[in-house]
Amino acid sequence: MSVQPTPGPPPGGTPPAETPSETPAETPSEAPGGSPGPAGGRTATLRPARPRWRETLRLLAGNPTAAVAAVLLLLIVLVAVFDEPLAPQGANEIDVAGRLQPPGLEHPFGTDDLGRDVLSRIILGASVSLRVGFLAVLIALVVGSTIGLLAGFYGRWVDDVLMRVMDMLFAFPAVLLAIAVLAVRGPGSGNTALAIAVVYVPIFARVTRASVLGVREEVYVRASRSVGAGDLRLLTRHVLPNAAPPIIVQTSISLAFAVLAEAALSFLGLGTQPPNPSWGLMLAEGRGYIELAWWIAFFPGMAIFLTVLCFNLLGDGLRDVLDPRQRTLMGGGGR
Amino acid sequence: MTGYLLRRTGQSAVVLAGVSVIVFALVHLVPGDPVRLALGTRFDQATYDALLARSGLDQPLVQQFFGWAGRALTGDLGVSFRSGDPVTLLILERLPATVTLAFASLLVALLIAVPLGTVSALRPRTVVDRAATVFSQFGISVPDFWMGIVLILVFAGTLGWLPTGGYVPLGEDPLGWLQRLIMPAVVTGVVSGSVITRFVRSSVLEALGSDHVRTAEAKGLPRRQVLTWHVLRNALLPLVTVTGVQLAYLLSGVVVVEIVFAWPGLGQLALQSVQARDYPVLQGAILLFALVFLVINLLVDLLYTAIDPRIRR
Repeated sequence: MSVQPTPGPPPGGTPPAETPSETPAETPSEAPGGSPGPAGGRTATLRPARPRWRETLRLLAGNPTAAVAAVLLLLIVLVAVFDEPLAPQGANEIDVAGRLQPPGLEHPFGTDDLGRDVLSRIILGASVSLRVGFLAVLIALVVGSTIGLLAGFYGRWVDDVLMRVMDMLFAFPAVLLAIAVLAVRGPGSGNTALAIAVVYVPIFARVTRASVLGVREEVYVRASRSVGAGDLRLLTRHVLPNAAPPIIVQTSISLAFAVLAEAALSFLGLGTQPPNPSWGLMLAEGRGYIELAWWIAFFPGMAIFLTVLCFNLLGDGLRDVLDPRQRTLMGGGGR
Repeated sequence: MTGYLLRRTGQSAVVLAGVSVIVFALVHLVPGDPVRLALGTRFDQATYDALLARSGLDQPLVQQFFGWAGRALTGDLGVSFRSGDPVTLLILERLPATVTLAFASLLVALLIAVPLGTVSALRPRTVVDRAATVFSQFGISVPDFWMGIVLILVFAGTLGWLPTGGYVPLGEDPLGWLQRLIMPAVVTGVVSGSVITRFVRSSVLEALGSDHVRTAEAKGLPRRQVLTWHVLRNALLPLVTVTGVQLAYLLSGVVVVEIVFAWPGLGQLALQSVQARDYPVLQGAILLFALVFLVINLLVDLLYTAIDPRIRR
């Protein structure tokens, strides 16, 4: 059941240009990366050029869908950061007289059953949803990639033991595993992040391992080993930087899944707890009023959908730029 | 072939053993006394002792595990803390609803994905191809519970064509069964269908670009024959895998959709057992899901080996 050891991404250099925008490459992009250019022939064989983030950004800008998604995501993050000044009202300003008001000038997204402004709660809920999502993916990324790196680099029994443990975690259905973690740890935002992270650790481990397997036997790694580089140096200077592209793509896709999972768990009453605003929780609260006041559930759902869509589109764009060969490895969304 | 079969089955057995340890540990990881938590605040010592003894929680840990695992092998998953009913019985009651929904959703998913994915691969950069891309992005990104609520609003509320949710057995009321099945099956079917569409599209594209297709075209075979015998047959291989994975997901992962449509399946049972702190039921449900997942993956791998001899190691 192991991920097939696909031939790794082309090491360093310019990412394969599949995107139509092939503007003549500007040479200045070589200077700031800190990586030695191809000038010194001897060093170039030993130390591969690192993936250059400027190059990545330039290629990404040539992909309109991904570029729009990235800009929208930036806006969503800004809204989440500056939520308090942006929100017209507080999250829990109750106005019983003005309850269940349809969308209008005063309340663009209407009010809920307690007269709270839906738009304000969506703005204030953004930081909750994003914080849980980012934290979950950060944990999964650090733990999962470390496991995958060790398994792929050392092979043999290290690989067997680590990957069989990952298989065990992977055998649990995603949502149910998260529910089980929350059943043990109790509800709340921090535990939700942990629960989602547990689901995604094996996926990061597999993606990293597959990528490391492709890089491990590259000439520059063997060359570096033969001149006496230690494991730590090999891992941090050569293997990890060159195995990174699929991991970066996976991170973007996982963020989409994490935001979706946070919403689902909060919807089930296991994630963020009331009266805190969270998109999934708002959907659950609005569900009972769906025929009376559709806007309470509709707009938070729209917010989840747009955020998840942007992360997925960005992930697809990054994959086209960074890692075109693995386009179908995960199938997206982690569902 | 036999060697591969044995090795692959053994691997699954090892994973299952590990899974059972994790599931068993679940109850013991809960801070506090699970029996006390299950009983709530008002109970007498006799009830407490009886439940403790019946659930075996008064025995040493290792003995508990082997007792529990041994009984699980014979199909005895213990008794519910809440109702006192055997967990196996509770699960069997919910199984038909879950299996019905899973297969109906898979049908919806394949009916959408196979034609859409194939046509979009054969006619790249056309309207159909764009539609397929938009559809798969939508399905992967949309929160299924939100789509469910919107469908309820439109088809149950505004139009009044379908009931908002619930379940009736096929034998009692075939029309009512179908009416209640449509919306949840469409919601989960769209989600899985979007994943499958991507796979179908990319595997058809890959088959189109392969050497044997070029050879077939070069020797002048009619395009129709090339498509059916050389492209689609090879593109179907990955479809077996992804369909198996999706079936495993549908049999276990649709907790949220079951809640939205009040569908009395296993996901709903699992959630209720979390809320009621009924750990034996939760353990049983999770163990069953993991077993289903492992068995389906094993079958898919073996099936794959049977239809594609290149995989045999």
